[in-house]
Amino acid sequence: MAHLSEKLEKGAAKAAPAAAVYSARRPRSATAKKMFPYLLVGPAVLYLLAITLYPGLFAMYQSLFVVKFVNWSWAGLGNYTRIVQDREFWVALGNTAIIGGLSLSLQTIIAMTVAFFCYRDPFVRGWRIVFLMPMLFMPSAVAFIWKLAFNDGRVISDLLMSLGLVSNNVDWLSSVWLARLTLIVADVWQWTPFLFIIFVGALQGQDEEIEEAARLDGASWSSIFWNISLPMMRPIIVVAVTLRGIDITTMFTNVYIMTQGTPGGATETMSYFIYRQGFRMFNFGYASAASVLMLLITIVIAQTIVKRAFKSGKS
Amino acid sequence: MASVRKSGGDNLFVRYIILVSWALVCVVPILWFLTIGFRPRTEIIVPEPIYWPTWSLDAWRLLVSDWPIALYLRNSIVAVAGSVVIDLVLAIPAAFALARYDFKGREDIGFYILSTRMMAPAIVAVPIFFLFRNIGLLDSVWALMLIYAAINLSLVTWIIRSYMLDIPKELEDAARTDGAGDLTILWEIMIPACLPGIITAAVIAAIFAINEFLFTLLIASTSKAYTMSVALANFTGGSDGVIYNAIALVSFIAFAPILILVILIQKHLSRGLTMGAVKG
Repeated sequence: MAHLSEKLEKGAAKAAPAAAVYSARRPRSATAKKMFPYLLVGPAVLYLLAITLYPGLFAMYQSLFVVKFVNWSWAGLGNYTRIVQDREFWVALGNTAIIGGLSLSLQTIIAMTVAFFCYRDPFVRGWRIVFLMPMLFMPSAVAFIWKLAFNDGRVISDLLMSLGLVSNNVDWLSSVWLARLTLIVADVWQWTPFLFIIFVGALQGQDEEIEEAARLDGASWSSIFWNISLPMMRPIIVVAVTLRGIDITTMFTNVYIMTQGTPGGATETMSYFIYRQGFRMFNFGYASAASVLMLLITIVIAQTIVKRAFKSGKS
Repeated sequence: MASVRKSGGDNLFVRYIILVSWALVCVVPILWFLTIGFRPRTEIIVPEPIYWPTWSLDAWRLLVSDWPIALYLRNSIVAVAGSVVIDLVLAIPAAFALARYDFKGREDIGFYILSTRMMAPAIVAVPIFFLFRNIGLLDSVWALMLIYAAINLSLVTWIIRSYMLDIPKELEDAARTDGAGDLTILWEIMIPACLPGIITAAVIAAIFAINEFLFTLLIASTSKAYTMSVALANFTGGSDGVIYNAIALVSFIAFAPILILVILIQKHLSRGLTMGAVKG
C-alpha cells in the first residue's frame, strides 16, 4: 500500500492551509476526524454484510445438514461428497460455460461490429436508441417472446420452412443443441445492446485526430480499426465483457421460462440447478452445498479478473 | 467534416446494410410482440402462425377483470422506488468517503462493495429465503425493497463515486476556507455537482430492480407481493396454457416508462452500466 501513503502525504500537504483555518474555527478531536470516513461508508458496508455475509455463513452451515422441512440432520461433508459425484452438477456447470461462452462471444462480435459501423454515422443517436431497446424489456417478457417465437407459436419454424431451410416443424426442445440455441438467441438479442452501448461510447470518446492522421498516411478503415481503435478500447472491452460474463453465469430467467432444463438437463444452468434442488425438490442442504461451491468459484473469478479489469479500466 | 463521416466503414452501402439489418433484428420482435397484445387468444397458438392480426381488446379485458394488475403495478412501484431511496441514502455518503478521504482499508472496502455485484443470485437465494422466512417478511413488498436495494447498492455507490472523482478538489477547498464542515460540503457542493451521476445511478438501479426475477419469484410466494416481472410468469393460467396476449400487454406497460427514462439519461448510460469504469 505504498501508493496509498504517498497519496495521504500529498493530500495532507495540499489541504494543510485550509485545514488550519477550519480547525481554528471549530476544533475537533483527531480521532473523530479519523473515524469520519468510516461513519460515511459504514452503513452501506453493514447493509451489504447483512445481506451477503449472513447468507454466506448460513449456506455453509446449512450445507452440512440434510434438511427435510423443519428437521435438520447432521451430514458433515456428506452433501459435498455427494455433489462432486453428481453428474447433474457437472453437467450444469458445463452447460453454464457452453451456453454462456457462446452467447458472450456472439454478443461481443455483434456489438463491436455494429458499434464500429455506427459511431461516426450522422444518425448515431437514433441508432443508439433503436439498438438498445431489447435490453429495456423485462427479462421475463423477453423469455416469453422467444418461447412463443420458437415453440408455442412456431413462428421461427414457419419462417425457416418458407425459406426452404427445413421441411417440417422443428421441435426445438427435443435436441440438445437446438434447445441451447434458443437460449443463446434470447440472451444475445436482449444483451448485445449492453455491450453495444459501451463500445459505441468508447469509440465516440476516442481521439479523432489520431484516426485522421492515420487516414492521411493512407491507412484503410480496417487497419485503423485493428491497429488504433481496438487497442485503445482494450481496457473498456475487458471491463464490459467481464461484467456481462458475470451476469451470464447467473442465467436463470430464460431457463425457467423457456426450457426448464430440457431436454434431459442439456440446458440446465448452475442457477437453475440450485433452484431445482432447493425449491422444487426441497433438498435445501444439498442446494446450499452447491451454492457454497459456486461461491468459491465466483470469489476466485472476482478476485482475479474483476480487480484487474477495474484497475485497467480506470487508467 | 466529410472525411470524418467516412470512417467506420468507408463503404456506405455495406454500412447501411449492416445497421439496417441489426435494427430489424432489434425492432421486429418487439413490434410483433406488440401486436400479440391486441389479438384474440385463439389466434396466437395455432399450428400455422398468423402474421396479420385480427385486432381485439381481449387482453385488456382480461387484465382488468381477472388480474389485479393495479396491485402488481403498485407493488413494483413501491418496491422499486423504496429500494432506490435506500440505495441513495446509503451510497451517497459511502461514495463520498471512497472518493474524497484517505483512510486505512479504503481500497479493500471499495472492492468489497464492488464484489457483491459479482455474486450470483442463486448462491444467496436459499439462505435469503430462510432469512426472510425467519424474520417473517416472506411474501411482502418490504422484503423485495430490501433485496433490490442490496442488489443495486454496489452499482449505485460505484457510479456516484466515479462522478465525485471528477469534481475539482478546489471547489471543496474553497468551501473549507469559508468554514464549511464535511457534511455541508457533501450536501451543498458534492451532491449538486454530481447530480447527473446520481440520477443515472438511480435510473439504472430502478431498471435492474423492475426486471429482477429470481428473488421476487422466491420471496413473493403468493400474488400479494407479485411485481410485474414475476406476475408475467404466472400468466400461465393452468389449463388455459400461456396467456400470451396478456403477457405482451403487461410487458409494454413496463417497457414504456423505462424507455422514456433511458432516453433522458442516454448520454450517461455507458458510464453508468460499467459502474464508472468507463469515462464518457
